Amino acid sequence: MNCGGSAPRDYKAKVAGSRVLGDGSCLLAVECGSIASAAEPGQFVMVRPGTCGDPFLGRPLAVASASGEIFKIVYRVVGRGTELLASKRQGDSLVVRGPIGRGFFSARNALPLPKKVILAGGSVGAAPLLFAVRRLGVNSIADVVMGVSGKGWEGFSEWLRESFPGVSLFSDDGTIGMKGTVLDGLPADLPPDTEIWACGPEGMLRAVAAKYPADGARIRVALESRMACGMGGCLGCVIPTASGNRRVCVDGPVFTAEEVLWNDISN
Amino acid sequence: MTSRTDLPVSVGSLELESPVIIASGVWPYEAELWSAERLEGVGALCTKAVSLKGRTGNKGVRVWETPCGMLNSIGLQNAGVHAFLNDYLPIVRNARRPFLVNLVMESEREVRESICALREVPGIPALELNISCPNVDGDGMAWGISPGSTAHAVRIARSEWSGALWVKLTPQSPDLAEVAKAAEEEGADALVCGNTWLGMAMDIKKKRLAFQRGVAGLSGPAVFPLALRTVWQVCGAVKIPVVGCGGVSSWEDAAAMILAGATAVEVGSALFTDFDLPRKIAAGLSDYLAEQKIDSISGLSGLGRQ
Repeated sequence: MNCGGSAPRDYKAKVAGSRVLGDGSCLLAVECGSIASAAEPGQFVMVRPGTCGDPFLGRPLAVASASGEIFKIVYRVVGRGTELLASKRQGDSLVVRGPIGRGFFSARNALPLPKKVILAGGSVGAAPLLFAVRRLGVNSIADVVMGVSGKGWEGFSEWLRESFPGVSLFSDDGTIGMKGTVLDGLPADLPPDTEIWACGPEGMLRAVAAKYPADGARIRVALESRMACGMGGCLGCVIPTASGNRRVCVDGPVFTAEEVLWNDISN
Repeated sequence: MTSRTDLPVSVGSLELESPVIIASGVWPYEAELWSAERLEGVGALCTKAVSLKGRTGNKGVRVWETPCGMLNSIGLQNAGVHAFLNDYLPIVRNARRPFLVNLVMESEREVRESICALREVPGIPALELNISCPNVDGDGMAWGISPGSTAHAVRIARSEWSGALWVKLTPQSPDLAEVAKAAEEEGADALVCGNTWLGMAMDIKKKRLAFQRGVAGLSGPAVFPLALRTVWQVCGAVKIPVVGCGGVSSWEDAAAMILAGATAVEVGSALFTDFDLPRKIAAGLSDYLAEQKIDSISGLSGLGRQ
């Protein structure tokens, strides 16, 4: 069952600003006080770029920050829906469902925060981690490790550096930051009272989980899945876990790496 | 709930305050979503499909967006009838509206056993017998393809269940009017016309079919004209009430199905994009009735056939 707070609602929202970060990645600021005030890091929204039934479904996009009346999302243009989204300008209207799911904090079920959190993000998976670092507060130290594929991601990487001062940045081809992947920026062993919060492509999350097979309970992953409804109804987004199929949208999207049956995920 | 007096409608023995029904397979059991505030305009709800034993559903991709619609291959994931009765029925009752338990047509033994379990619990107003799910092998749609197997399925359910029995048909039947008549003759109280449409998606990046079962069910506004045609056909074949289902995403769609002869409509995939749709449909229908100087939904039903 959904323990992440209230069931989402649909809102008519306005685009407060749109910025191309470069290379097909964009930042969108949306004016919707109800979502901005309720959202927590790791939660997401379903943004409907069209109003005439096509594209039909909302796009699940993680909240990257929320303040006052405004929340922001960061996304990569990958298809018709995100192309339409990228064409939105300040003042345009959007239909948004949210906030959805259990985030990095509510998924803890009141477990105290660790002393240190390593935030590990792959490409636009950085978005919810940016929100998380701002909400962690002074009692937890955060290290930030990010990975991009390389050439073509300069603009996005610039935004990463602005957003996360002190970020350790890796690229597959070595053209941005250090050559390597997020995995290279993680410690060989997970120190005590430390957790990893990760968001990015499934392959990356799977690799992070595999790096620390004994510490899966201290690794929290924000998963992505194809989904239709964003309210827990369609069961289109389920992933296999130790306690059976669970819905990425409202039972997640944040799970511990230990819960997820990585070998049973089939796409 | 709306206080309008023009919207209440009877579907057989079920009295609905609005002709807008939430279709099976879309509404989760999150308690908050079964409160009156979140169900404005909703006349009744169908539960997600229930089978005797729990089912884990299909592996791999389960949903795929299409132009003005979507394909799904969920595969009837559910916790089984006993878990439904223990864990979810109390939530469903909170809606304080008529509801239908969508029951998967499995083997004769399984269906009899499921209905026995449902019968033990007082206050379940109606069953919606699912002989139309395209996403499982052997059960579901296999029953609804021919008049003979439909008659067999309805006869079994009717012999065990004395309450309201609706039968959800599949548009995949090549002989839909005869299927509808067979269900009527075996004692169905109403027909739901219909379920999703068999389709396919190719993942061109992976160069293989998107769904592990190959086929999947198409829904959403894209199927509305197809569904309207089947509603017209079935309404012309039977005397029992017909509930239109397929691609309804506006009050105009609902009005069209009712003009074609439907008594009420079910709304499914469109709820994925708009929680408030039932209220909007109910309000739109009410305004339309006033404008057309028609007293009630039942007065509208079938007017388009004249």
